[in-house]
This record gives sequence, structure tokens and C-alpha cells, in this order.
Amino acid sequence: MTILNFTDWIANAPAWLQALPDWLQNFVFQLYQTFIYQNRWKFFTDGLKITFIVTIGALILGVIIGLLIAIVRTAHDSSVKKPFFLLRFLNWFCNLYLTVIRGTPMMVQLLIMGFVIMAPKTEAGTIACGIITLGINSGAYVAEIVRSGLMSISVGQSEAGRSLGLSYAQTMWHIVIPQAFKNILPALGNEMITLLKDTSLVSVIALRDVTKQAQNIANKTYQAFVPYISLALIYLVLVIVMTKLLSILERRLRKSDH
Amino acid sequence: MTTDNVIIKVRDLKKSFGKIEVLNGIDIDIKKGEVVVVIGPSGSGKSTFLRCLNRLEEPTDGKIFLEETEITDPKIDINLHRQRMGMVFQQFNLFPHKTILKNMTLAPIKLLKTPKAEAEAKAVELLERVGLADRALSYPSQLSGGQKQRVAIVRALAMNPEVMLFDEPTSALDPEMVGEVLEVMKELAQSGMTMVVVTHEMGFAREVADRVIFIDEGKIQEDSSPEEFFGNPKSPRLKDFLSKVL
Repeated sequence: MTILNFTDWIANAPAWLQALPDWLQNFVFQLYQTFIYQNRWKFFTDGLKITFIVTIGALILGVIIGLLIAIVRTAHDSSVKKPFFLLRFLNWFCNLYLTVIRGTPMMVQLLIMGFVIMAPKTEAGTIACGIITLGINSGAYVAEIVRSGLMSISVGQSEAGRSLGLSYAQTMWHIVIPQAFKNILPALGNEMITLLKDTSLVSVIALRDVTKQAQNIANKTYQAFVPYISLALIYLVLVIVMTKLLSILERRLRKSDH
Repeated sequence: MTTDNVIIKVRDLKKSFGKIEVLNGIDIDIKKGEVVVVIGPSGSGKSTFLRCLNRLEEPTDGKIFLEETEITDPKIDINLHRQRMGMVFQQFNLFPHKTILKNMTLAPIKLLKTPKAEAEAKAVELLERVGLADRALSYPSQLSGGQKQRVAIVRALAMNPEVMLFDEPTSALDPEMVGEVLEVMKELAQSGMTMVVVTHEMGFAREVADRVIFIDEGKIQEDSSPEEFFGNPKSPRLKDFLSKVL
């Protein structure tokens, strides 16, 4: 029996509940149906697991892709002589990627990856598909954020590094990137928050993330209010926690400017 | 070696940015231990000349030799040769996210593979030489301009360079801080370091330089001892320039 009857439920409820006004009884009934009945809270925790896996996976992939693209584009734009062929090709490819990914909706990208390109059959495959699609999407935005960060560092910094004999890569890694990272942290945090919320779209490729699970509960209980409001609160709490962590990190990194 | 003790040899160095020719055939030999001061009106190409010496600016044409090695040869690893040439910039260019000590030990640890403790000991010793040992753990933003430039000088020295290049090292400083930086450079010159200094400090040129060269319109117009340079300038351009600045 999946649908619980309100009349049966209230008849067996403790006396203090029966003493409440009707609308409150109804609200408690919905809460009970959404979270407690048949251990439905597990829907949310299972969904959250998927949401976390996809978010973290896509975040890592997105940062790696974004960093690589930003470095290619910055190296191309800042080279004094005409860049060599490979660099020009890479730069062309990166521009193509940015145009396509930023020019099409995330949902459409998920549909194409989920049903045309990867078309995964297993759950693990679907999770991978979600991570890859979101990572590729996020990478395009991260790339531009990182590029703006790299450009914000004065050319004197890399000249100082190069004049000491450090290679281009060493100068980037030890001198430019750490400073750029500090400058782009707020924008990067914003992108992370967007990514976390965008994972709610993976339900279209049949991934059971927390949004999909809330839909499942709404379908089982014929009640939308509590599952969806709870879902919104879950995302809200996650974003608030993330914002807090980011501001702690920002404060730590700021210790060198007095 | 026929050319005795020449450490930097420049032959027909040319550099243009697009259509604008900045250097128009520079030839010079700089000997080990020599202090060469480069003077010239702004836009004359003197900074570009200096920056070509370690290829921060890629020369359009011509050859530069560091001892026996042609460093303008595209096949050589320029990073290895830049280690032998320290550079000090007008804008200091200290790394703001690193402490003074880390600024100074980064390159020795990464490139010379000096053990950390040894690199730090050497950095502190260098800082003592310029009176800043107590600032080792400060960040650049906590230092005055003059202190920053002194750190920039010892940061370059931490790599044990054979040559030091100075690109207008006192031009961004408040007047009262110029002296402390020039003093460090003077001591460095007396210790026998080969130095190429682009500057507007005529007093420094007169007192410390072994040779003063005047660059204008992308060419060396005058190359002589400071006494000759200031006392008996030959080129009309230099006479004109000196009449404006002295």
C-alpha cells in the first residue's frame, strides 16, 4: 500500500495530533508521508548521493578543462611572435568548443549526450554521462573565468619569473596561477553554485538525483507541496554551506594583502 | 679566446615592433666586472636594448653572445642562460603572494636544486647585506618602495648570476628612497659584479660607471668613460640631451 489514507492515519495518531487544527494535521500528514512512511527519507539521501557525486565529478572535470583552455587561449593571445601551428590549432578548437557549449542549452546537451553520443545502459554509465556532460559544460564557463584571472596579473609578474630562469610552465604554476586563483575565487564560487543547481537537470537522462527523487515522492503521494519545498530547502542549505566555505577560503588567501 | 674577458657581445642588434624600428643595429662588448650605464631620452630604445639581452624581448635581428654561447640561437634553452643574468625592474615585480624569503628561495630551490635550508640561509645572508634580514617573513605589500627594490636586487642575486641587468631601478621610487637603492647597487658594483644599468641617475653614472653609453634613435651615439661622457661629449645629440638634464 503506497497511498496512505488520511482518515486511517489520523485515527491511529497520538492524541496531541488529533487535538491540532485541521490544516496543521494535514501538514503533519504530508510531512509523515514524504519523509517517514516507508522510510522515504532514504529517497532524499540516495538522491543527494547522486547529486554530490555528479557535482564533485563535474566540478573537477570542469576546472581541469577550464584551466587547460584558459592556458591555451592565454598562451595564444600573449605570444609575441606568430604562434606555432599546434597552438593555433588548439586555440581554434578551444574557440569552437566555447562557442558550441555556451551557445546551446544545458538541457539539450544532456539529451544529446544521454541519448545520442554516449547513450549509457548502466547506472554507473549514466552517472559518468552526467558528470562528463556537466563537466564539459562547466569547463566552458570556468575557462573564461580563469582567463580573466590570468589576464588580471600584470605582465611584470611573469617577466620577473622568466628573468629568474623559470620556464613558462613554472612561472604559470608558482607565480601567475596562485595570484589569479585568489582574484577569481568569487566568480569561481558562483560557477560552482550554478553547477550544483544545474545537476537537477540530470533527471532527463534518468539519473535519480535528489530532484528526481522528490518528483518520485510527489508522484507516490499525490502531494507536491512538502516534497518540492523540502527539495528547495535542501538546495538552499547546500548553497549556504558552500558560500560559507568559500568565504572562509577567501579570507585565508587574503592574508598576504595588508 | 681572443676577446679578453668579454662576457656580453652584441652584434648588429635590431628590434622592431610592427613597423616601428626601436633598435637599429647595436654593437657592444661588455667585459667581466664592468659597470655599463645606459642613458638616453625616453623612447630611445634603451629599455628595449636591456630587455633584449635576456630575451624578454625577442630581437628581430642580430646576435647576442653570453660568453661563448649565442643566446639568440633559437635552439638553445634560454631559461638556462637567464639563470646567469639577474634582472631588476622599475616596478620591482616582487611576488605579492609569497613572503620575502619565499620570493628569494623559489628560483634557487626549483632551478639550482638548492636544499631548502641552504637556500633560506643564503637568502637571509643576502637580506642582511641590504639591511632587511628582519623582513624575511613579511609580504611585499608590507615594505616601502626602496625596501622592495632592495629585495628585488637580492632576489636576483640569490641565483648567483654572472651579470645583473637593471631597468630604471629607481624611477618608480619616492625621491627619499632612491639613495638606499643606489647604495646597494654601488656596493654590488664594487664587489666586481658585471652590471648593465638603464637609469636617469646621472650622479650614479658619473660615480659608479666604468662606461656610459648614450642610445638615441635606436643606435649607440656615444660610448665612453664617465669623465669623457659628461666632460667632453662628442655627439651633438648627447650635448643637447645633457644640456637638458644637467
